Amino acid sequence: MPEPTPHTFDIFREEGQLSFPGKKEEYRFGPVEPSPCTNACPAGVNVKAYVSLMAAGKFGAALDVIRERNPLPGICGRVCTHPCEAACNRNVVDQPVAVRWLKRFAADYELAHPGEPPAKIETTRQEKVAVIGAGPSGLTAANDLVRRGFDVTVFEALPEAGGMLIAGIPAYRLPRKILSAEIDYLTNLGIKIETGTKIEGEKAIDELFKQGFEAIYLAIGAHKGKKLNIKGEGRYRGILDAVAFLNQVNFSASEKPGDKVIVIGGGNSAVDSARTALRLGSSEVHIVYRRTRQEMPADEEEIDEAEKEGVKIHYLAAPVEIVGKKGRVTGMTCQKMELGEPDESGRRRPVPIPDSEYLVEADCIIPAISQEPEIEFGLSDVKLSRWNTLVADEDTMATDRPGVFAGGDAVTGPSTVIDAIAHGHRAADSILHYLTGQPLENPVPPQMLPEAEIKIDLDQRSQIARAGMPAMEVQQRLGNFDEVEFGFDEATAIAEAQRCLRCGPCAECEECVSLCDKQPAMLTVDGHTGEYLCRVPDNLRSLVNSESSLTANLKIGKKKIDVILQSLQPRVAANICRGCGECVSVCDYGALELIASSGDLQISQLDPEKCRACGICVSACPNGAMLPGFIDDAWLNSKLDRMATGATNLVVFSCRWNGSSLHSDELAQIRTDKVNLNLIQTICGGRIEPGFVLKALAAGASGVLLTACDDESCHYGVGARRVRESFDEIRSLVHILGTDPQRIGFAAIPDGDSVKFIQTIADFAQSLNNNGGK
Amino acid sequence: MHEELYAAVQQTNALACLECGKCTSVCPVSRFSQEYSPRLMLNQAVKQDFDTLFADYDLWSCLTCQRCDQVCPSAISYIELTQTLRNNTDSSRFKGQCSHSGVLETLQKMMTTRDLRQNRLDWVGNELDISTDTGEILYFVGCAPYFDSFFTNLELSTLDAAISSIKILNHLGIKPVLLPQERCCGHDLYWNGDMDNFKMLAEHNLEMIAKTGCKTILFSCAECQSAFQNLYVENGFKVPWKLQHLSQFLAEQVESGKLELAPVAKPVTFQDPCRLGRHLSEYDAPRQVLKSNGGDNLVEMKQHGKGALCCGVSAWMNCDGTTRKIQNERLDQAYATGAETMAVACPKCHIHLQCTQQHAGDDGPKIEIRDIATITLERIG
Ligand SMILES: Cc1cc2nc3c(=O)[nH]c(=O)nc-3n(C[C@H](O)[C@H](O)[C@H](O)COP(=O)(O)OP(=O)(O)OC[C@H]3O[C@@H](n4cnc5c(N)ncnc54)[C@H](O)[C@@H]3O)c2cc1C
Ligand code: SF4
Ligand code: SF4
Ligand code: SF4
Ligand code: SF4
Repeated sequence: MPEPTPHTFDIFREEGQLSFPGKKEEYRFGPVEPSPCTNACPAGVNVKAYVSLMAAGKFGAALDVIRERNPLPGICGRVCTHPCEAACNRNVVDQPVAVRWLKRFAADYELAHPGEPPAKIETTRQEKVAVIGAGPSGLTAANDLVRRGFDVTVFEALPEAGGMLIAGIPAYRLPRKILSAEIDYLTNLGIKIETGTKIEGEKAIDELFKQGFEAIYLAIGAHKGKKLNIKGEGRYRGILDAVAFLNQVNFSASEKPGDKVIVIGGGNSAVDSARTALRLGSSEVHIVYRRTRQEMPADEEEIDEAEKEGVKIHYLAAPVEIVGKKGRVTGMTCQKMELGEPDESGRRRPVPIPDSEYLVEADCIIPAISQEPEIEFGLSDVKLSRWNTLVADEDTMATDRPGVFAGGDAVTGPSTVIDAIAHGHRAADSILHYLTGQPLENPVPPQMLPEAEIKIDLDQRSQIARAGMPAMEVQQRLGNFDEVEFGFDEATAIAEAQRCLRCGPCAECEECVSLCDKQPAMLTVDGHTGEYLCRVPDNLRSLVNSESSLTANLKIGKKKIDVILQSLQPRVAANICRGCGECVSVCDYGALELIASSGDLQISQLDPEKCRACGICVSACPNGAMLPGFIDDAWLNSKLDRMATGATNLVVFSCRWNGSSLHSDELAQIRTDKVNLNLIQTICGGRIEPGFVLKALAAGASGVLLTACDDESCHYGVGARRVRESFDEIRSLVHILGTDPQRIGFAAIPDGDSVKFIQTIADFAQSLNNNGGK
Repeated sequence: MHEELYAAVQQTNALACLECGKCTSVCPVSRFSQEYSPRLMLNQAVKQDFDTLFADYDLWSCLTCQRCDQVCPSAISYIELTQTLRNNTDSSRFKGQCSHSGVLETLQKMMTTRDLRQNRLDWVGNELDISTDTGEILYFVGCAPYFDSFFTNLELSTLDAAISSIKILNHLGIKPVLLPQERCCGHDLYWNGDMDNFKMLAEHNLEMIAKTGCKTILFSCAECQSAFQNLYVENGFKVPWKLQHLSQFLAEQVESGKLELAPVAKPVTFQDPCRLGRHLSEYDAPRQVLKSNGGDNLVEMKQHGKGALCCGVSAWMNCDGTTRKIQNERLDQAYATGAETMAVACPKCHIHLQCTQQHAGDDGPKIEIRDIATITLERIG
């Protein structure tokens, strides 16, 4: 089972069955089919969610969604290979939604409208983790682990963090201020990066363990250029590996590599080398590639731009021999190719056309064919593949040495930023499992879910052209490394986001929690004290809402557990309701109406499809006719019964959203210092009526704190306001009673701000102690 | 435990039940709820089927309005039997449905604390001449300060009755004593079967009153008066003072010529509180006051005096659909009189009937509900 967090909405996301004792049929659920874009993202970014948010102009919320799975939004917004766009259903209608550029806009928008920098995340765990390599993979793992409270140090050989992002990708595609802003964001969160620190030496891994690191993630990338293995290689000056070349350009002032340059290869590093050479003043730049343009791994757009800038691309041409004079390169012989049978990668194998050799003159040759990791430390039990890459389990990223994990380019060979990020997530999950003694089994990575079955009628969709990316004129590009693409303006971003077809089920951005069909129920697991909020799958909803409590057996994968499912929706006790309509007037969802009953009496009726189970009507009903599911009076009273005697007894009523990402450690801290904290969480704070505050005092509470989200972030319309009203009401009663009104507190805390939540509780406890709380 | 209950069955004369059904035929709750029958409940008690009774929501539906006892040919005290049964339910059993999430019940219980420092006289302004230590006449305010602060959404002030009462007393040259630490009288707790807390409240009140040296205690709340006059005495407390509802005191003053009142200007009807009427047998005094000096304006509702319909809720328990029907009926009876004002002599009648009238919306008929003290004050020159 997942940890008992309040947001356990996702139990039913995976595939499984529920069976009920005495009932023959089994209810199958899941998996929740993601939209094709989300499904395609290796890092699991909820694409549809953030595109939807951007369509509504909510750029900040969109960025939050991106950051949940991708710590480098501004970078990926520029250089990601965007498999999401390839999967986009709009491809069938016209062109894919410009997802990558939207991501860029969200990130740039934050830079242009800076708010508070993120608060540092406190280290709550003892264990130290070392990450080798500050590329995207290492940074992702570090970010995930720091967010989980670990103490993480990233060691980076280069003078600056970023890996290939800084050493390889040129600034005209990825401006350094974007890179450094995103790295600063991460270091502000608490990731320590030690640049200029190469991990080297035969015993380097053992040393790290000796220094107290309990887990290590090797994310060293693949920086060593591979040999061409052709004649003349190594004989002449003027041959410079692509990565080494770009590295030089990126870290030190540089001059043109030569006047006439040949780049060999078809990937991003080839195209980047060619365009960089042009910018440095080379007068002629060729790319020699064995296959056709279709097979070229570099980005379409990049190839277009390179050609526009004047790069001559020789498709279907293979290098045969490097020729030179007086120890210097003078050119290269190439052979023309044609495509034959597909090879194991599915691409058609190029075969040489006899007698088709020709010479291209050049004074510099840049091989950009492939790279492998440069391993400068003893491998100590970590294995190498026959391509010289590190061997790690593809789901858990575990190497053969316990505690050592590896991922990114170091494992796959040259790949992409987003794959490196995906590995970083998996490694972080595994390290968490490893350090907490759980088996190293990762949930199915999102992209491995079956192809989403899309239930939208694509024929019905009208064509809307994809927004183009404004870019610098070609003439202005040479001689500088200024960013070529300008990015969208706000109106374009919104309009482009609105092209999204919203494939699949709800966008799951959690923003719409207050409007969409999420109807949570409470799931209690046999033998666990925890209560889990879960979202009920569509086909189970009416069953769950029709009974107050259902015992069931839940099967997910191999796991089988006995659970009790309790609807949180209230029901109207028809014999008690007196038709006063108080409930109707507070329900923000129009879930209640008065209908005729016997005689001249009307009674309230609940529409389970509309009700979101906030419980506000329960507190509004003066007569107890709204019988809440799960969080009923008996449940609340039982919580109050737990009041200890002696210490300062603090009762905190809060909603489940407020301080929802609570760390139990922090609560424990408040609990110790002479304070007995009794935290009672309802779905919405509006569920708590004044009677319970009084009951808490009567039961011996030294103080009662009511918290609510602030008006803007309240998930249930009037919830926050109702809590404030209860507070005012109770304060005046308590004043008459002669109880110190300071013993009752109220705080509006933005949803999810657990730092403020904890601080508020701590301050309130402090003020009670100062007042000599009993 | 069952022996004790059986003793109560005997004491309340329940064994003499003829199963004539007169009780059920007059019971306001039975009139609107098919489920509820005092006759059947009695029957179960006689059969000693206590477990069924304890599990019954309707054990808390009785208003203890005493209509049934009044007509019973065997002189059975059904309400006392009800109280004993309630008193014997332990906390694990079904309890009545508390209205307003138990705020009022909890306040009552919290007032049992000995060293309370209430601010319950904050409403007494300079225009009121009162004493807080000694004096001949004590005015027992009741829980109006709490009601007004809690029922902010109701268009009423129960403290108006207290303020008016004090102004009338001042007008008569009387400086009443008010208890700064007055407690709830315990009426509701008693009828809900919480004897321990009821007794503690009684002790606190009696102890404080004894220190004032007063001779007479005046009440605006019929429930408080019935607690002192009936419940305290029945439970062995000494209550050596003259106890009067304000209306009884006013009637005396009018009678003796000390108080002269202008005629009531607009047609008025009177809501007999069940505690003042059937519990304390006072039907005339309030009417005398309302009628004094030309009483043509008092119009009676269809059910009044001994047969009056009560306000529908007792001790904040089981306010439900049936309650609403009783209250609707009572308000309809009031509207039918054509009176513009309904005089009440109990803050609870005031609250419950005002609540129902307000929830009926703006379209229906309306009657102004006011305490008899407030009406009387206006009639003083
Ligand atoms: C020119 C070029 C252009 C590219 N363009 C794109 C693109 O447009 N889109 C895309 O998705 N991908 C692109 N890529 C690929 C992408 O950059 C990589 O796949 C990605 O950066 C791999 O991330 P990583 O974290 O695994 O490794 P890296 O980013 O390579 O980071 C590894 C880090 O580990 C450090 N390190 C190595 N050994 C040690 C040691 N012993 N001690 C300390 N530190 C060490 C290295 O210095 C490096 O900083 C490009 C690559 C190149 C070369
Ligand atoms: S107020 Fe909340 S719990 Fe009540 S009906 Fe409306 S949505 Fe449901
Ligand atoms: S608030 Fe309660 S009594 Fe009033 S209509 Fe709603 S459920 Fe019925
Ligand atoms: S006391 Fe009143 S409410 Fe109770 S049974 Fe008798 S008549 Fe009915
Ligand atoms: S009638 Fe109104 S004030 Fe009286 S108990 Fe019922 S809801 Fe409360």
